Amino acid sequence: MKPFLSRDNLLLWLKRLLQEYTVIAPVQAWDTVLFQPVKEVEEILLNYDVSALSPKDVFFPTSETLFTFERQGGRWEARPLPEIKKQVLFGLHPCDAHGIALMDVPFLSPPADLHYQRRREATTLVGLACSRARPECFCESVGGGPQDPSHLDVLLIPTPQGYILQVRTARGAALFTGFNVEELEIDNPPPPVTTPVPVAGITEIARDTFNEVFWERLADRCIHCNLCAYVCPCCYCFDIRDYALKGRVERVRSWESCQAAGFTRLAGGYDPRPSKGARLRQRFFHKFLYYPTQFKGQVKCTGCGRCVRACPVNIDIREVASEMQRIGSRVARAA
Amino acid sequence: MLPDSPFLPLPARIQEARDLTPDVKLFRVEIEDPRARENFRHRPGQFAFLSAFGMGESPFTFASYPSPDGVLEFAIRRVGTVSSALHELEPGEAVGIRGPFGNSFPLEEYRGKNIIIIGGGIGLAPLRPVIQAVLSHREEYGELLVIYGARTPADLVFAHEFSSWGEAPRTRVELTVDRGNGDWQGRVALVPTVIKELKPSPENTITITCGPPIMIRFVLAELKALDFAPMQIVTTLESKMKCGLGKCARCNIGEKYVCQDGPVFSFSEISRFLEQG
Repeated sequence: MKPFLSRDNLLLWLKRLLQEYTVIAPVQAWDTVLFQPVKEVEEILLNYDVSALSPKDVFFPTSETLFTFERQGGRWEARPLPEIKKQVLFGLHPCDAHGIALMDVPFLSPPADLHYQRRREATTLVGLACSRARPECFCESVGGGPQDPSHLDVLLIPTPQGYILQVRTARGAALFTGFNVEELEIDNPPPPVTTPVPVAGITEIARDTFNEVFWERLADRCIHCNLCAYVCPCCYCFDIRDYALKGRVERVRSWESCQAAGFTRLAGGYDPRPSKGARLRQRFFHKFLYYPTQFKGQVKCTGCGRCVRACPVNIDIREVASEMQRIGSRVARAA
Repeated sequence: MLPDSPFLPLPARIQEARDLTPDVKLFRVEIEDPRARENFRHRPGQFAFLSAFGMGESPFTFASYPSPDGVLEFAIRRVGTVSSALHELEPGEAVGIRGPFGNSFPLEEYRGKNIIIIGGGIGLAPLRPVIQAVLSHREEYGELLVIYGARTPADLVFAHEFSSWGEAPRTRVELTVDRGNGDWQGRVALVPTVIKELKPSPENTITITCGPPIMIRFVLAELKALDFAPMQIVTTLESKMKCGLGKCARCNIGEKYVCQDGPVFSFSEISRFLEQG
């Protein structure tokens, strides 16, 4: 017997949720899918493949005011931060929950990034397992899966009859207080199968590919549009700038990309990483070597495939991983 | 209540801003809150972010050894947005400070050793706290040799302190410029050339260098030619950074974050980096 929500009950539950919480969910936005706060249950997409952007901006907005400083008695005082209301992030797929877990590591490591942390702590994650895999999905190759409940407070697994309910945390259970959940004798539907990508062991061989001409060759066609970083559910480079407004200063944090020209350029003009190839290598080395080295071996990729689809010049992380493995094994043979 | 954010700078004030060269000022900065000032303890080699409110914040290494009055010194060249904004500020005006960040020069390990300081241009700023530390505990260290060069005589920072440094026991200050002028009686040569000329011995010696990347490269070559081991050559790296906390993912050189693992590295460490800063 498994806890189960019929479609009607799910809608009923969501209606109740909307009265108490801000609910952020996948909605149709023009010809694409985005995570947005919803007012009506009917707006929520219960059957979608992938959103154009991951919901990482719920915690790490594209642009946010870290502080507003006001001039008081000859000094600049920071205004108190606005309150964050309790909210539910509904309908994210397991890969996007994985992305949030990967961002938690740098942002919540002491000293915690307060601005991220307070949003994270105010938010309950209700995931939706995947019924289909797209050709570019490879979550299973990076430690995830279409029905992976890790990193979620609640997981819903869609079946033809309704939704199998997995409540995993007290925070998740709180959403069901006073709601009558039925139980049903039902098997989990078979998860969709993703196409394997050779990521296993890549951290160990990455160093061997550092000096390969492959990186410059691949980067030749990069137009540094930075889309790969913006659609990535776990890219978290940021910039901080000041804006002087009337009587106040806003210190603003915005998304940034390691692919941007000048990302590492110092005042005065010296740039330790001036070439496109070195910048492209930085992207994949951060994902496959630096992050795993710093943080217990996990690669910084969820296999969502967004960057594969977004890149206008077809730089494909799956091909990069394969090529790194190929070069790595060649170096190993030569050694 | 103020936000308890690691990005929030402490309110501070410029106590003094003095011209060191046509484009470098020495800022003496005082944290406003006496308790915060007391708790703010930096070590030579560390850095802090200074805010010019409305223009942004940038990292600068401390140019002074911690002083009992808690006043912090920064030698800042007017070269970018924030440094230019700081140069516009007058004594008494408000700034913000966030830090200290990073590792420091392991002065304990240098005890009993000869120390060679090799600076170029504004690169003398992060080395000055080491000079001050050695001079104030002179008996604990061996010979001190300061080799310092700038483009022109007018670009030598801390010029008013050279004579007092040179008067200390077992201490030599060797100055050089790339281009002299009418008044300049001293050496006209590049810093690496001075090393070649002086031929310091690597025995029981630590060299600490900071300056433009091109100078560092040739300094390194000269020191290697004199049989200095990479372990005996220490530098402090400059890097673009936004947070100082290992989060903004900008200052990494390979697996190392300059803000957390550095900025002080020996060349035996740097030679193992994947990237070269």
